[in-house]
Amino acid sequence: MKVWLGLAAMLLLAMVVAACAGNQWATPADLLRAVDGDQALRSRLLLDWRLPRVVAAAFVGALLGLGGTIYQGVFRTPLAEPYLLGSAGGAALGATVALLVPLAMPQSWLLPLLAFAGAWGATMLVIGISRVAGAVDAAGLLLAGVAVAAILGALRSFLMLALSDETVSLQVVLSWVLGGVQTPTWRGVALLVLITLACLALAHTLARRLDVLGLGETMAVAFGLDVPRFVMLAVLAGSVIVAAAVAFGGLVAFVGLASPHVARWLVGPLHRPLLPASALVGAIVVVLADAIARSALPPAEIPLGLVTAVAGGPFFILLLARRLRAS
Amino acid sequence: MSALSAENLQVARGKSTLLRQISLKFNATESVAIIGPNGAGKSTLLKALAGTIAPTEGQVRLGRRNLAELPAAERAQSIGFLPQHFEPHWDLGVAELLEIGAARSHGLAPAALEKTMAAFELGGLERRRWSTLSGGERARVLLAMVLVVDPPVLLADEPAASLDIRHRLDLLRALADRGRKRLSVVVVHDLDLAFSFYDRVVLLAKGELIADEPAARLLDDPRLDDTFGVRFERLRTGEGWHLRACR
Repeated sequence: MKVWLGLAAMLLLAMVVAACAGNQWATPADLLRAVDGDQALRSRLLLDWRLPRVVAAAFVGALLGLGGTIYQGVFRTPLAEPYLLGSAGGAALGATVALLVPLAMPQSWLLPLLAFAGAWGATMLVIGISRVAGAVDAAGLLLAGVAVAAILGALRSFLMLALSDETVSLQVVLSWVLGGVQTPTWRGVALLVLITLACLALAHTLARRLDVLGLGETMAVAFGLDVPRFVMLAVLAGSVIVAAAVAFGGLVAFVGLASPHVARWLVGPLHRPLLPASALVGAIVVVLADAIARSALPPAEIPLGLVTAVAGGPFFILLLARRLRAS
Repeated sequence: MSALSAENLQVARGKSTLLRQISLKFNATESVAIIGPNGAGKSTLLKALAGTIAPTEGQVRLGRRNLAELPAAERAQSIGFLPQHFEPHWDLGVAELLEIGAARSHGLAPAALEKTMAAFELGGLERRRWSTLSGGERARVLLAMVLVVDPPVLLADEPAASLDIRHRLDLLRALADRGRKRLSVVVVHDLDLAFSFYDRVVLLAKGELIADEPAARLLDDPRLDDTFGVRFERLRTGEGWHLRACR
């Protein structure tokens, strides 16, 4: 209980700090005035631009934390992450196609749909490759994931070079690829909140079976789990979650890797508490990273993905080193 | 009617046949040791009996029902399976592992969990993590996880292989004792313990059933010596038997 209150308090604090941070710093009093319905330009800007972005950052972070936990649970390794396993790359490729290729569908539908198709397709490809190669351990999966991610990245770059013109600027796509929470309308925020809650519920239904899978394949089968079928189901769910995160926040690296780790230190490895805890940790991380992205180099904005990669890269190296030393 | 039976069980992987035409019947209360030299198909037989691998031909029956057609959840509740190696991917705590094991049975009374904890002397270990447990403690936790739902059938695949002599003795004896109230089928490497503690011994070699006899009868059977390729000296000891191998 203490852990949950602590996490909630930290998230709230992070959101207040992030709402104050920016090109021009605000005080908590300014925030209160803005929320209270003050009509001054400064308050309106805070309410319509900064606050929705902070809330969106929190929920994108929650999605990344959830997605990362499911991927680590399915692949039974703490080194798994949507970004590394190519599914985020697949989602980004799908999003790029949606942004650049003129198709007869409204973009607001097309983008999440193609992002999902990309995320799911890439993950299935990684699983397929590592199965065919006979490597179902962490190293084999990661290698297959890195290869698939590289191919998808190249395809995406090619699409960007070949298809962008004056009507669709590279800038739009680049802001995706480098990761960055778009500033949504409050209606958009409401949609994101609903999607995140749905994803949380979806993840919760997988929790017990992820625990059983974590006992190893032999034990999982003996405990009545249909392993191949569950893996497919969980990958599908993970892809939905990653696609939602990418649709709202672009390609944000390493949050999906780090959040489950931190959450495991706090609440242990059982998935029922781990999934929501990981979502909270992810939310805190992305809110803070987004605040840094907005305020570190005014008036310019650093892409969020760069901030998380600079912080997350060393974290990943540390993990790898610890794991290598342990084995 | 037998509690568990195999009918013309055949298991093939690629071109090699791992089990050939095995038929066995097990009663609801007995302890059975499966023995045989390396590569005899002991583990494969146990996995097929547990329903974790599908036979190429033939079938396994749990009571009257075909195991392959049984819902997985029901199978998991009826058959406890103790694997040869168990290493959870996450560093779970003892209480958490037992909780996962107990979840196989819906509506298992919390008292059952406590009873299992007490029966396997896990009282002081509740909060310990898997990585901090000793080999003997791990064996007890694993057994408790599998038996917490009190399955009528227990299939154990040489679970004592990595234990020291005292823990191995305790474990193989506990598994044999379970045969007084339930069915307990155990792959045993230590022939002394197999013949000293178990009611019945099944001898396999190269995927075929060589002998299936009460322990006391198989003990004097020359097929035992032929199958292992040695000559055994059978020595009566205080607790049971000691088989000394000579060439």
